[in-house]
Amino acid sequence: MIYLDHAAATPVSAKVLEAMKPYFLDEFFNPSSAYLPAKKVNADYEAAKGEIAHAIGAKGNDIIITAGATEANNLAFTAISSNAKVLYLKTEHDSVRNPARQFDYEEIEVDKNGRIVLDDLKKKISENTEMISVALANNELGTIQPLAEIASLIREIRIERMQKKNPHPLFLHSDASQAMNLLDINVARLGVDLLTLNAAKVYGPKGVGALYVAHDVRLKPVTLGGGQENGLRSGTQNVPGVIGFAVALKNAKEHLNGNRKKYAEMRKVLLNEVKDYELINKKYSLDNFVVLCFDGLDAERLIYALEDRGVYVSTGAACAASKGVRSHVLMAIGLTESEIAGSLRITLGETNTLEQIHEAAKIINEVVEAEKARISG
Amino acid sequence: MKWWKLRKRGLVAKVFVGMSGGVDSSVVALLLKEQGYDVTGVYMKNWSKDLPGMKCPWAEDLADAKRVAVKLGIDFEVWDFEKEYHEKVVEYMLDEFKKGNTPNPDVMCNQEIKFKLFFEKAMERGANFIATGHYARTDGAKLLRAVDENKDQTYFLYRISEDAIKHTLFPVGGMKKPEVKKLAEEHGLHNAYKKESMGVCFVGEVGMKDFLKEYINIEPGEIREVETEKVLGVHEGAVFYTIGQRHGLYLSGVAGEVNDGMPYYVVAKDLKKNIVYVSKNLNDSHIWTKELKLKDVIMRSEAKNVLVRLRHRAPLISATFDGKTIHFENEIKRPAAGQSAVIYDGEVCLGGGIIE
Repeated sequence: MIYLDHAAATPVSAKVLEAMKPYFLDEFFNPSSAYLPAKKVNADYEAAKGEIAHAIGAKGNDIIITAGATEANNLAFTAISSNAKVLYLKTEHDSVRNPARQFDYEEIEVDKNGRIVLDDLKKKISENTEMISVALANNELGTIQPLAEIASLIREIRIERMQKKNPHPLFLHSDASQAMNLLDINVARLGVDLLTLNAAKVYGPKGVGALYVAHDVRLKPVTLGGGQENGLRSGTQNVPGVIGFAVALKNAKEHLNGNRKKYAEMRKVLLNEVKDYELINKKYSLDNFVVLCFDGLDAERLIYALEDRGVYVSTGAACAASKGVRSHVLMAIGLTESEIAGSLRITLGETNTLEQIHEAAKIINEVVEAEKARISG
Repeated sequence: MKWWKLRKRGLVAKVFVGMSGGVDSSVVALLLKEQGYDVTGVYMKNWSKDLPGMKCPWAEDLADAKRVAVKLGIDFEVWDFEKEYHEKVVEYMLDEFKKGNTPNPDVMCNQEIKFKLFFEKAMERGANFIATGHYARTDGAKLLRAVDENKDQTYFLYRISEDAIKHTLFPVGGMKKPEVKKLAEEHGLHNAYKKESMGVCFVGEVGMKDFLKEYINIEPGEIREVETEKVLGVHEGAVFYTIGQRHGLYLSGVAGEVNDGMPYYVVAKDLKKNIVYVSKNLNDSHIWTKELKLKDVIMRSEAKNVLVRLRHRAPLISATFDGKTIHFENEIKRPAAGQSAVIYDGEVCLGGGIIE
């Protein structure tokens, strides 16, 4: 098997699994229980939260643990009032688009590289815009967004609003799920007020995520109950999940530079050895994203043919692909229907070796050749 | 012209295979490809809407069909019949239910969509044949029961035209289901053991009742005992109930009743008053009959002494047919109005009609 879909899911690393194990078995106690062994579990949980926060330059109290990135994105939108206006990048994931669409919303345009058009953002911010959501790195193209520039624009608007006595707050939210393996994330440097993290994309367990919340942001609870997670998300803590997340994130942080080098090399191999494609994500992309367009071919057929040869790739976001919907991301960057239909997303990760990449390039060429032969045959 | 004649002349017969994503139609594509046909797989997109509490599996089914097509190296297309399906099948079905009947949408789907629109479009595209994964056989313009008696699907196909029969291949109709699965497995088809979709093609697992609730205004009403007019309980809407039905009445523990372990049957419905009548009397005259009047009869050839099938997989019953009414020697349990009675002469499916 050659797995080239790390943006969809990553395996839990051995180190992470080892760290989680005791909390399934001997240390299973409810962190809220009164006896000492439970107190110890609670302390371990809080320490792990602290480590997760530390990885992004925050404190344990600043993050809310959720059951994944989708929930964290939804929770972020509780920060604003119901009559507020929301802006989000046209290429955002459905877990941002759909909660955003519960409000008065507009989409911010991207250029052909998938980067935010800042002038469009400026134009669309109005008196009651309270939330701007821009993913740090896009999940289909890997495009990295200039969050700090957006943040500085927001700072100017905040000053303006304060002077004009406009009471609406303005928050910057970013989903950083795809970026954690390759970018050094620091909330202060990015200038975000809300940041979504996801354990499942950093070789941690699925169903665990976190939302960083700046001090001046007030969220509303999504579940009511025992008051866990600062009262915002009641329910017994997912102790093993959070322990695993902390180890996974720490690991990712330690390997940032190595990862970048490794994936940049692999990307180069793919681009050199695969034939007759057009590269879609030419610029500003995470090194582990390679989006190739075989115009005139049906990428879905390529996926099934590659699957038959043990190579796993994808067309776009796994959830959109399973609904048979054309990628809104590729549409937003101006690809034609036929280019969208012919685009494959390859996302590299820890399971890959250089030999695998050579092999994958060879198999992709063979599969593409066979498809072309069938069509002309 | 038969395909082997075309092949002898150096021409390859072109066939469009309706691929549902299930094992039967996948094996059809496999067999025809192996026999040298020019095969194009087609997924008929008839329904894609999700219903409350039920995700429509169309995208998954389509992916399964396409995956098999890629594995076999054949062309694959999606033909969208959603609009036509709604007009010809769904609306017919809803109208029948509103009249108090129990229609069979699969019969209508085969008549109007698969063996009409799909067939016609395939022919326009230059096909010599269409093929589907139905368990049935043909002999010229005759429709024959499948070799696998347990799987025979002629009950759903009796209304298709002779022209369609002449141009349709049913490659699995000569096989037993386990052979089909084995063949799929041997050829590495991933869906060899895929769970079969049950019941109505698009309603899937959601069940007819939940589907109807979306489209028909219904109100709860009384369930009354037919002999005494006593109100025994509440039903969800009379259109949901079928004569002879004994499940889903929720009458266990009816107050004051002696629990004699005997179930209640639906024996009649009053749609105007929205009342469902039930009885414990298995001899109730509503349930039994010696004759069935048919409407919308389709017969490909006439016959007097016939075999009749009243439900998919139900046993064949000897009877006489005069072109309008079926006469049985012994009393039979009356099928619901709107269901089909399918008429056979030996293994030949002659036609049938809708029970009044």
